[in-house]
Amino acid sequence: MSSPDPSSANAARAALVEALIRTGDADRDAFRTVYQLTSAKLFGICLRICEDRQGAEDVLHDVYLTIWHRAATYRPERASPIAWLATIARNRSIDWRRRQTRARAAPVEAADALADPARAQDETLIADELHGRLHGCLEAIEPRQRSAIRSAFFGGLTYAELALAQAVPLGTMKSWVRRGLLALRGCLDAAA
Amino acid sequence: MPPPDEPDIAAAELALGLLDGEERTAALRRLARDPDFAADVERWRDWFGALFADWPEVAAPQSLASRIEASLDGKAATPANDNMAWRRLALVASFAALLLLGVTMFELLRPLPAPVQIAVRMPAPAPAPLLAAIAPTGGGAPLAAAYDPARATVRITGALPVPAGRSAELWAIRGKEAPRSLGLVAGGPTRLVVPAAARQAIAADTVLAISIEPVGGSPTGLPTGPVVATGTLTG
Repeated sequence: MSSPDPSSANAARAALVEALIRTGDADRDAFRTVYQLTSAKLFGICLRICEDRQGAEDVLHDVYLTIWHRAATYRPERASPIAWLATIARNRSIDWRRRQTRARAAPVEAADALADPARAQDETLIADELHGRLHGCLEAIEPRQRSAIRSAFFGGLTYAELALAQAVPLGTMKSWVRRGLLALRGCLDAAA
Repeated sequence: MPPPDEPDIAAAELALGLLDGEERTAALRRLARDPDFAADVERWRDWFGALFADWPEVAAPQSLASRIEASLDGKAATPANDNMAWRRLALVASFAALLLLGVTMFELLRPLPAPVQIAVRMPAPAPAPLLAAIAPTGGGAPLAAAYDPARATVRITGALPVPAGRSAELWAIRGKEAPRSLGLVAGGPTRLVVPAAARQAIAADTVLAISIEPVGGSPTGLPTGPVVATGTLTG
């Protein structure tokens, strides 16, 4: 993985933090800046989890209204701005999807393709060494376990949904994921 | 909880949203009672948060930015006016501790000043708002909540202590239906636009509840933390 230029990454993040804080003061220009800097990332999240373009657009709309109203509660010392925004998008998308009753088609493979770490990454907004560390540790665990963990994160799937998608018994899926998470924890603790 | 002979990884399972049903309930109970467990869940959330960098970007539709702005204009006053209205409301709320809750309710029902930049249609007779006193479970002054069906907004005055690094989330619970999130409640006066899907859950006798959640709100769409205040809407 190529390492981003830390100064430009820090500048991009600082610009987003500032725009988010000003949005909390009801600054409409700052809100537009937040939208420009983040809408592609957040739409990617909504689209992936909702698996429905219209649904993803509605959720994204709702996400930015939430951001507008909630920006004053953002605490830069607690969370990176993109993680804060992305968490809202992921949560709202999962809410939306769980309200839909339709079955999901082949989500695991799709999530896997999306989560390929060799793909271009948004290194200007998240430039943590943590990101590199997490990838190193994910790479170190067994592929089947890694794949299930990625699907859970990127698809917003529960154990039951993962098992259904992979057509394996629930106990088997739990065992894969738990072993993967234990290995991940061991690796992340050792690397800290 | 895992079987006794298995290592405990429930914090990661909860952070990732893997659990449902009884397992999730058990993990949530633990989250509320065990600060070490809660810290562990938070640590996993931070770890997984780094993965957001990998999410591929997809350009949002061109029209969406203007639609979002239009809904800010349409459903709320312009930001400047909104702010001023809120400053006034905050002032009212600070007196609320000294006055009867009913007085606060009255203030809540006052319409916001009309924004001067926007042409205002004379509104049709609006449906009556619903009101609730949301009482903290640990005692103390209740918060006043008003739901405006015409604007689909909930306004809340009063403040609730929220632990650092947590968010307070408002829920509507109608009858035996699952709770629906109405959004996050700030430390001070809050105005929330109720998501379209949650509006049918709001009626007289709907229970409003506030729970303590991770920053940004419940990761699952249902309350995950302790409920700290509840109240029932009345017409």
